[in-house]
Amino acid sequence: MQADPTLDVNLTRALEESQRLAASITPGSDRWDVIVVGSGAAGGMAGFQLAMAGVKVLLLEAGRMIDVRTEYKTMEWPYASMRRHRLPPGERPIAVAEYSFLDRPYGSNPALAKHQKVMSYAANRFTRNWVVDERQNPTTGTPYSWVRARVLGGKTNFWGRGALRYGPLQFNAASRDGFDVDWPISYDDVKPYYDKVDTLLGCSGTTEGLMQVPDGVFQRPSKLNCVEVAFKRAIAPMGRHYIPGRAGVTTDGVLNNKYRARCAGRGRCGRGCDIQAAFHSPASLIYPARDSGHMTVRPYSIVSEVLVGEPSNRASGVRVIDANTREVMDFKAPVVILGAGALDTTRILLNSRSSAHPAGLGNSSGVLGCYLSEHIMGIQGSGYIPARIGTESTLDDGRAVSPYIPRFRNITDKHPDFIRGYHFQGGGGCYEYPDVAEELTGYGKAFKSNVRKYYPAYIGFGGFGEVLPRKENRVTLDPLVKDAWGIPVLRFDYIFRDNELKMAKDMADSIEEMLIAAHAEDIKIKREPLPPGWSIHEIGTARMGDDPRASVTDRFCRLHDAKNVYIADAAPFVCGGTQNTTWSILAMAWRTMDYLKDRLRAGDV
Amino acid sequence: MKKAAGSEPSHLSRRAALKAIGAGIGTVAALPWLSDQGMLAFVRIQETNAAPQLKVLSPTQFATLEVLVDAIIPTDDRSPGAKQARVVDYIDLLLSESDRQLTLEWFGGLAALDAEAMSRFRTPFSRLGAGQVDAILQTISRNERAPQTPLETFFVMAKQATVYAYYTSNIGIHQELRYKGNVFIKEFVGCQTVDGKDCQYCGQKHLP
Repeated sequence: MQADPTLDVNLTRALEESQRLAASITPGSDRWDVIVVGSGAAGGMAGFQLAMAGVKVLLLEAGRMIDVRTEYKTMEWPYASMRRHRLPPGERPIAVAEYSFLDRPYGSNPALAKHQKVMSYAANRFTRNWVVDERQNPTTGTPYSWVRARVLGGKTNFWGRGALRYGPLQFNAASRDGFDVDWPISYDDVKPYYDKVDTLLGCSGTTEGLMQVPDGVFQRPSKLNCVEVAFKRAIAPMGRHYIPGRAGVTTDGVLNNKYRARCAGRGRCGRGCDIQAAFHSPASLIYPARDSGHMTVRPYSIVSEVLVGEPSNRASGVRVIDANTREVMDFKAPVVILGAGALDTTRILLNSRSSAHPAGLGNSSGVLGCYLSEHIMGIQGSGYIPARIGTESTLDDGRAVSPYIPRFRNITDKHPDFIRGYHFQGGGGCYEYPDVAEELTGYGKAFKSNVRKYYPAYIGFGGFGEVLPRKENRVTLDPLVKDAWGIPVLRFDYIFRDNELKMAKDMADSIEEMLIAAHAEDIKIKREPLPPGWSIHEIGTARMGDDPRASVTDRFCRLHDAKNVYIADAAPFVCGGTQNTTWSILAMAWRTMDYLKDRLRAGDV
Repeated sequence: MKKAAGSEPSHLSRRAALKAIGAGIGTVAALPWLSDQGMLAFVRIQETNAAPQLKVLSPTQFATLEVLVDAIIPTDDRSPGAKQARVVDYIDLLLSESDRQLTLEWFGGLAALDAEAMSRFRTPFSRLGAGQVDAILQTISRNERAPQTPLETFFVMAKQATVYAYYTSNIGIHQELRYKGNVFIKEFVGCQTVDGKDCQYCGQKHLP
């Protein structure tokens, strides 16, 4: 293999800082009011809220610190790399759960060949130093493409920026269709926090008045480009909307954050935005919180379990395994907040076994690990919009997210085949790489000029369908397999079932119908779902509820079984609709922290 | 901790191990097997159009492939073609990192292409005239969506590699596509109908 200096990011600063912090922060080095596990959207927001309120926070991150100025390669051209952004063999550290799709020990498997994209989204040259290596972090059971990032900021360093709110259709879903249960809280409980998140972090979007995706406090929106306007006009008579994407990106700038600038329309946000216009937890939340003097960040801190104290309905702290030295340390604090990501939070709780909590902390109900949900994805449609065929290229992709077709099923009508719904995200025009070149046949000057001709006309969409939260879709601890640090791994028992598959069929039919309405040429429809987990929108497994016999946390994301343990990530979510998850994690974490702050003020933790 | 079955040369495991214990890339790069010399040579070739230092392809194979890729995406009055975009250098590099089976398929394809040229024109493919190359490409591209013969399969393979390498090259992105993004802009413009005008780019009219 040939060395590729364009791949060699200089991590010296980040690694030195990580080692210095890990060496100096020990259980005896200070006292903290609260321990926060994780530094992504959940842990970042939890730590920020508490530190800004003067609460002394110890933030534990399993990975290293990040040097955002060096590691976010926002504007790198493909030809700057000799392999044109492909990774050489051995440099692809994880390939996003590919090991759970390969026959063990990791031979070839038709499921992998069918799903090439499993390896592409989060395992690219820009994220490869952040996402975990599956060989160190395996899973067992049914295939699940579980993307994890162990680095300061977690997956927010490369998240998709879709900033959509849950609305009444999610919080009261069961009341509408009779499936499962409602959330114990309503949209009105969370709305003020969505508004605050929009204001603190910046959210770009347009006010539309659609109840399926409530409006927010928006900054300057992006716009539709030419092919998208044509598509919007074509589907309007069907009663369907096509609106500018809502992005967790500040287009007008935010107050009180010296690390962030407003969006400059370069459209490379998923590599990390080097001017910090896109929300990434480090610059948006963690650096300001650390500047307050109330937050200590300890990297390389893999939390294996929550320690139960006396009495046994209280946690005393967490057990940390140092990722490098493997030293085991017990950090103590009056309050523990888990924000490791829904599935890792649940894994920590399942592994927190004691005589008082033999099935794991928070599992007296027996439902810890159950009701795993996310989005079924992979249904895609594309074509070429006649108005742009043969025109000169324009700047079409300088936006934070693509436009969006909000959910249109089961809102006022009732679909005969399935409950709940789906939405599409997608757009078109002149992107850097012309997908059309891989679709057109022929060769020579005719082929080359055909690519040019169709290049500006491309439009494509991908669907996001709600996976019903079912008790039988669950994770447990594998009794035998452990990760590289000796912690039991998750065993998945999760498949798409009848409702999802019928919904997927309707998704494919409806996007085809809309492309036909837009008179698109050469329509292509992908009808095969991507593997479970590909959405990276996992929610549930420690659901909230008022009944301790049927839920893990109360309505403030506090464990029924341990009054000083809170969950800041999406594990308590009951159901998630079609919306991307991050913005709801941020709003819910803020709400939970407001509740905790009240308890701290009252001396009642 | 499971390890991928025997697929990596030992130096890669060493690198992975160093990374796992948190050693910096700087440390790794200092090791002799990661010398930057090869990369510098590559960059020099790209910049100067010098003869490439081939890794897998023989000079003959290189010449054959260069004629093929330039016939797939030729120079026209808008932009240079695949030859000037150094597409074959890129293919050579990827083949040097591919498994043996794939490399042999490419070698087989190139040999078959030459055999076809010899049988039809008694000349190696790399020395055919433009009309003769076109005659062969017409034949082997007939069933592009469902290739039937080894040569037809090879055409599809070579075209895919050519397309990716060309449209990710400086020439492909800037001169051919005239891609306009990845720059700092004050505000995204979009279709002008959004701003209440008739659009000069697509011809759509503003709808009041």
